[in-house]
Amino acid sequence: MPEPRPVPVSAPPGAAVRRRRVLLAGGAIVAVLAVAAGVLAVGGWTRSRPRQAAASASDGLRHTSVEVSPGGCGRGWTRPEPGKQVFDVRNTSGGAAEVFLTDAKTGAVYAEVEGLGPGAVRRMPVTLGSGSYAFKCVPDDADAVTGPTVRITGGTSTGPAAVPVTQQDLIPAALAYQKWIQARMADLVKRTDVLRAAVDRGDLAAARAAWLPAHLVYERMGAAYGTFGDADAAINGTTAGLSGGVRDAGFTGFHRIEYGLWHGESAHGLRGPADRLDKAVRALRDSWPQQRMNPADLGLRAHEILENTVQFELTGRTDYGSGTNLATARANLDGTEALLGYLRPLLKTRDTGLPELDSWLDRTRRTLDACEHGGRWTPLSALDRTQREKVNADLGGVVERLADVAVLTDIRRTA
Amino acid sequence: MNGPNIPNGVGRRGFLASAAAVAGTGLVAADRSTAAAAPAPGTTGVPFHGRHQAGILTPAQRATAFVSFDVTADGRRELADLLRTITDRARFLTAGGTPDPAGITAPPTDSGTLGPQLPADGLTVTVGAGASLFDHRYGLGDRRPRSLTAMPSFPDDDLDPDWCHGDLSVQFCAAGTDTVLHALRDVARHTRGGMQVRWRMDGFVSTPRPTGTPRNHLGFKDGTANPDTTDAREMDRLVWVGKANGEPAWATGGSYQVVRAIRMLVEFWDRVSLPEQERIFGRARDTGAPLDGRHETDTPKYAQDPLGDVIPLDSHIRKANPRTAATADQRILRRAYNYDRGMDSNGNLDMGLLFCCYQQDLARQFETVQKRLAGESLVDYVKPFGGGYFFALPGARDSADWLGRSLLA
Ligand code: HEM
Repeated sequence: MPEPRPVPVSAPPGAAVRRRRVLLAGGAIVAVLAVAAGVLAVGGWTRSRPRQAAASASDGLRHTSVEVSPGGCGRGWTRPEPGKQVFDVRNTSGGAAEVFLTDAKTGAVYAEVEGLGPGAVRRMPVTLGSGSYAFKCVPDDADAVTGPTVRITGGTSTGPAAVPVTQQDLIPAALAYQKWIQARMADLVKRTDVLRAAVDRGDLAAARAAWLPAHLVYERMGAAYGTFGDADAAINGTTAGLSGGVRDAGFTGFHRIEYGLWHGESAHGLRGPADRLDKAVRALRDSWPQQRMNPADLGLRAHEILENTVQFELTGRTDYGSGTNLATARANLDGTEALLGYLRPLLKTRDTGLPELDSWLDRTRRTLDACEHGGRWTPLSALDRTQREKVNADLGGVVERLADVAVLTDIRRTA
Repeated sequence: MNGPNIPNGVGRRGFLASAAAVAGTGLVAADRSTAAAAPAPGTTGVPFHGRHQAGILTPAQRATAFVSFDVTADGRRELADLLRTITDRARFLTAGGTPDPAGITAPPTDSGTLGPQLPADGLTVTVGAGASLFDHRYGLGDRRPRSLTAMPSFPDDDLDPDWCHGDLSVQFCAAGTDTVLHALRDVARHTRGGMQVRWRMDGFVSTPRPTGTPRNHLGFKDGTANPDTTDAREMDRLVWVGKANGEPAWATGGSYQVVRAIRMLVEFWDRVSLPEQERIFGRARDTGAPLDGRHETDTPKYAQDPLGDVIPLDSHIRKANPRTAATADQRILRRAYNYDRGMDSNGNLDMGLLFCCYQQDLARQFETVQKRLAGESLVDYVKPFGGGYFFALPGARDSADWLGRSLLA
């Protein structure tokens, strides 16, 4: 079960988009405005001199002090050398800025320092080989400034780099994904109706059979939970945080019904929860067309869906009796792959690990599929040690590689 | 830009991070060879390369994590990749240095728990293979070291299957617990997908009180009488597998590793009189001296005490090592740690000994000693519940070599 996330109703503009910490801290829009106001209050860029050029520090690495300002972006890098090294970037201007070390030809970014405040100095470690490089200084309130091109010759290795992803790049993916979710909504309502109807007429066997298909539709929609907001807690919440546990009035949705269906509760007792679930999914369907997914969330979700799977499904935490954690894991995998599909054009040119990620996704799919026999899913507890290790290992392999997707698709404004 | 570099060797993510050349704008793959800059000052490193692995003759560092893994790698090629990854990480971590920057392409390559510069901190990473690695999965059946089996249950054992065996053992030892945990986390991350932890036990070596060998939870100095690790010929006789031992050729330079998780019933022990405690071991608790001597390092003179009037015949040290010519080649190299892991269900403290020993021959050495200890008075106060037999692989000779190369060649 994914943790609830505040709901940014629309994508905030500009550089503020990537401050996901600010956004997630709640009161998203207010926070963004406050940041902008702060920047304005501090005022424009002023000039001052960088302290010193190359030096060696106690870490044994070569250090170069570099200025960040509109008039002197990258100033101080006078003696370029290959190898692993650290730039100590110093903001000599009056406002906060982002700093990037880029490939002068392709614009690929080797290193970044985010939100460098006026007067602040931060480390920027990097490994450089032959090539031409340039610093980019991007003030929060003005256009980007590119420093002079610096050439390095020699050096055997160069650290990894990628062309940054912009908000613009992600909007088509966000729109397409939103449409995909929209298309799942009808199915979700339809299958939840079947579940509710079975509970209504007191056919608990039919209800048990209908529960999983409905639940899996929802679990496949994984990447949208942040956007569903409170609806997610109502539809798929657990007893976490509820003092009354499974008896708590706040325990609603699929898992509440699961608990009842697999713990001998009467149909009568389950009618209320089933009705409420049905209403919640309908409300979600009806409100969805007005929702806007934040494009900045796409990459994050692509890795968080399966992080949640590892945390909640592979531990059995979300099992309220049906023993279908592995089915959920499989649905989460589908959801991840759907989302990745929309991100793929951006990743193809950026993520060297993409073919490897794909092979881990394949491997995991095969492993999970082997846990299903004619529609029946093996409960976690029925896996032997070898099988369980295999499931854990495969999903571990996937999440380890999905982490790159989230970092690479973080929105960066370099122009 | 000089075009995409193809990553060579093992990457940040190690296991199965094979070179994937992808053309496209601005795609620059890292040369992922781990270039170590200076390790954090004031810390010493234990050399990683050699005929034998470090962490065997190395005097026990203060902290350890002993981790048994099951290999989930698919087929022999992946197993080789896994072992190469473990080797590369161990080589880097034991030397210390500065982790590679990942830029905007990935999360940081290092957990950061040791700061931006990794100290060597005396870290050793010692890798062993369990008998199960030689089953049908990797086609290694005909390469199994001669006496490597799953650890049997001895008469005084009460083994819990969840705490036994494993395809690989990886023991991390270092001066600091933070260094041990950092290394474990790093290796687990880089090998994710290729192996899963089966069981893990952390341990520590106590401060010598007041001097000499550190004590175990029963209050006795533990580790006093060990073969001389500075005597290379003795090590070749007792610890290392050589060409003459009838072992597969690949195993030369390795050693059998026995690990035993032994619970100590410390509350019960504290209700035992001192003379009884000392008779059980055959040594004085305060000084660690044999009961017929004055100093910890005194040699017990069993020949002068044939009936065991001073050092009982069934005392631990006398049974473990009768010190006769006939039993000289049965000696083992012990490298034990104390462990402490909370409480038992009855409210008793759950602590004990992470016993570990190395030998050239399992049957001739550990098993002979273990069988001789059967029924000793100590068994009432301790309970072996886990562990396993592993074969510590021959060392990695140089920066091109990797642990297990001779096994998989
Ligand atoms: C919790 C279990 C154990 C405890 C508390 C324990 C404790 C001790 C102590 C206090 C000594 C004397 C000091 C020293 O020389 O290190 C000793 C010696 C020894 N122990 Fe253990 N031990 C345990 C298990 C074992 C096991 C499982 C073996 C091997 C099968 C073993 C083999 C030996 C040997 C070979 C010696 C050295 C005897 C000599 O050369 O004089 N011990 N042990």
